[in-house]
Amino acid sequence: MNVELVITTLLATALLSAVPLALASVGEALGERAGLLNLGTEGMMLLGAFSGFWVALKSGSLGLGLLTGAVIGLVCGLAFGLIAVVVGADQVLLGLGFTLAGGGLTAFLFRESFGSRQPLLAESMGRPFRGVADAVPIVGQAILGQAWFFYLAWIIVAGAALGLKYTTFGLRIRAVGDAPDAVDTLGISVRATRVYAAMCAGTLAGLAGASLSIVEVGFFQPNVTHGIGFIAIALAMLGRWNPTRIALMAILFGMLRGLGSGLQLADVPVQSDFVQLLPYIGVVIALVVTSRGISLPAALGVTWTRRK
Amino acid sequence: MAVTPAGIRPTQRPGVGRLLRSPMLDPVWAVLVALACGAIVLLLTGHDPILAYREWIERAILRPRGIQETIVRATPLLFAGAAVLLALRAGVWNIGIDGQVLAGALVAAVVASGLVHQPKVVMWVGAAVAGIIAGAVWAAIPALLRGRFGINEIVTSIMFNYIAVSMTAWLVKGWLGDPDVVLPQTRLIPVDHRLVTFGETRVHIGLIVAVILVVVLGAFFSRTVAGYEIKAIGASPRAAAHGQIPVDVSITVILIGSGAIAGLAGVNDVLSTKGAFQAEWNPAYGFVAFALVFLGQRSIIGLIPAALVFGQLSYAADVMPRAADVAPAFFDVIEGALMIALAVSVWARSASSGRIRFGSRGGGGDV
Repeated sequence: MNVELVITTLLATALLSAVPLALASVGEALGERAGLLNLGTEGMMLLGAFSGFWVALKSGSLGLGLLTGAVIGLVCGLAFGLIAVVVGADQVLLGLGFTLAGGGLTAFLFRESFGSRQPLLAESMGRPFRGVADAVPIVGQAILGQAWFFYLAWIIVAGAALGLKYTTFGLRIRAVGDAPDAVDTLGISVRATRVYAAMCAGTLAGLAGASLSIVEVGFFQPNVTHGIGFIAIALAMLGRWNPTRIALMAILFGMLRGLGSGLQLADVPVQSDFVQLLPYIGVVIALVVTSRGISLPAALGVTWTRRK
Repeated sequence: MAVTPAGIRPTQRPGVGRLLRSPMLDPVWAVLVALACGAIVLLLTGHDPILAYREWIERAILRPRGIQETIVRATPLLFAGAAVLLALRAGVWNIGIDGQVLAGALVAAVVASGLVHQPKVVMWVGAAVAGIIAGAVWAAIPALLRGRFGINEIVTSIMFNYIAVSMTAWLVKGWLGDPDVVLPQTRLIPVDHRLVTFGETRVHIGLIVAVILVVVLGAFFSRTVAGYEIKAIGASPRAAAHGQIPVDVSITVILIGSGAIAGLAGVNDVLSTKGAFQAEWNPAYGFVAFALVFLGQRSIIGLIPAALVFGQLSYAADVMPRAADVAPAFFDVIEGALMIALAVSVWARSASSGRIRFGSRGGGGDV
């Protein structure tokens, strides 16, 4: 066994597996900061994954596929936001409904489009820094040998972190989740801010799904996300709704997610059912270890109405 | 217009418009909206929705076989719905039903195959008790984490669903599997040892148990102090704590009880239609059970018609691929749309009485 190859492969799969987790989880955190608990992330990811894959396959353009996934996510987020904020529907039930409907719709459309076939994306994504990757030992291929979307995704995550911290919109998102009444007295619309936050969350969930199907695996199959959306919700909590911490958590869990395929690629025999357990058990252990003292956004899950 | 003296309002007449808008009809509207969404999906994918729905009614609803199968599939859903409702009355979302069903089913299958030479009743009771305990234990972990560390049960129980799927598959492929067959599954229970059916039908005594459970649950909530206390916690944890109700302990016990009932749904399937636990089998009753409870307007008696609706959807998902070339996943779309429609309708607005609690270990909980 080539130890150097194993380390490189594991690191590369960990960083790649972290991308959908980080995107979806940062999106979830933006929503939760604004007071919206979106349990529909899993369904929105599946819709982004399917639509993105379909467009990428038909058009031959991977970038267009990713954009489609993001747009579908945006539409889902808008729908979720309007129903949760304006109609005032129960967020838990609504989110579970989105997950159920998203999973069903993508499975149905997949069969309608492809029957029992399992098409693969022929084209692989360009790797802009590949030329210099070999210059750096061990970590070179893992960090510099990735597809272009990999770098874009981390830029988006960094942008979300900076935006939430330094922009007016970021401040408003944090404020409507903690003190909606105070925001309202300043003449800022609580509802509009929450709907915008839901749109951000949906866009990132859709993009996360598309990155899974297009960049990471190169195909779609029913329920391809296998709980990533729910892990993302847990990571948002574990990272205490702070995008930087969430990114670090995502890399840690990307390692657990990628462990199975990484070990297989490096020819290490593993029990697949057992390796699949690891991210979920990891989330539970991490919650037990870090849960003390987490203070969640004060208005999370509560529909806001102006007090008379 | 009748002239009314000042200060006296005319009695409101029951008009058709008012009737259509009554909260009692909300579930009917939700079902119609979901079916309309389904029709749009069919139309957009090149199917004839009228033809498909007509086939559905003729083949899955009107035939005697369809009615039987609807009841057979409604039975485990009734257990799952009762489990969800028990927790929801205390304002707790037990989203871990899937894992609890799997734990109950696997343990029941193993115990039943061990007791296969005993009298049938001994085997059934043994498997049921084992399944109840397994479901309760699986629910106990997230429940204790909530009670002890204040970790929100929604996230942990979803994690435990995925853990259950992989772990049961792993166990059945390993030392719990039947070494004599190729398929990874537990030892098959002989057909004459399965739950007794009514005459020539496939409807079995699991239905009686489920209905009795629903009746007992109704009596529990309307006649006992414990049932009253659970409703008090659901209405306001803080007020309940002021009333000397131990809120944290109660919520832990309720979640464990909910898991025990969910375990019975797994026992029901193993002892009747399935006969064994197969690796990667996951009926995913959990989310459906939530839709079911809200379709029944969160009332105990409403569980029964709501379970029949979802039992029918489950059977239709089996019939329609052959009858009208509609893939089974179509019925997940209908169920999801139904759930969203239910979330929108009026009485679901007050569903979770309190705000969602993560981290902080609130003694009485915050509302």
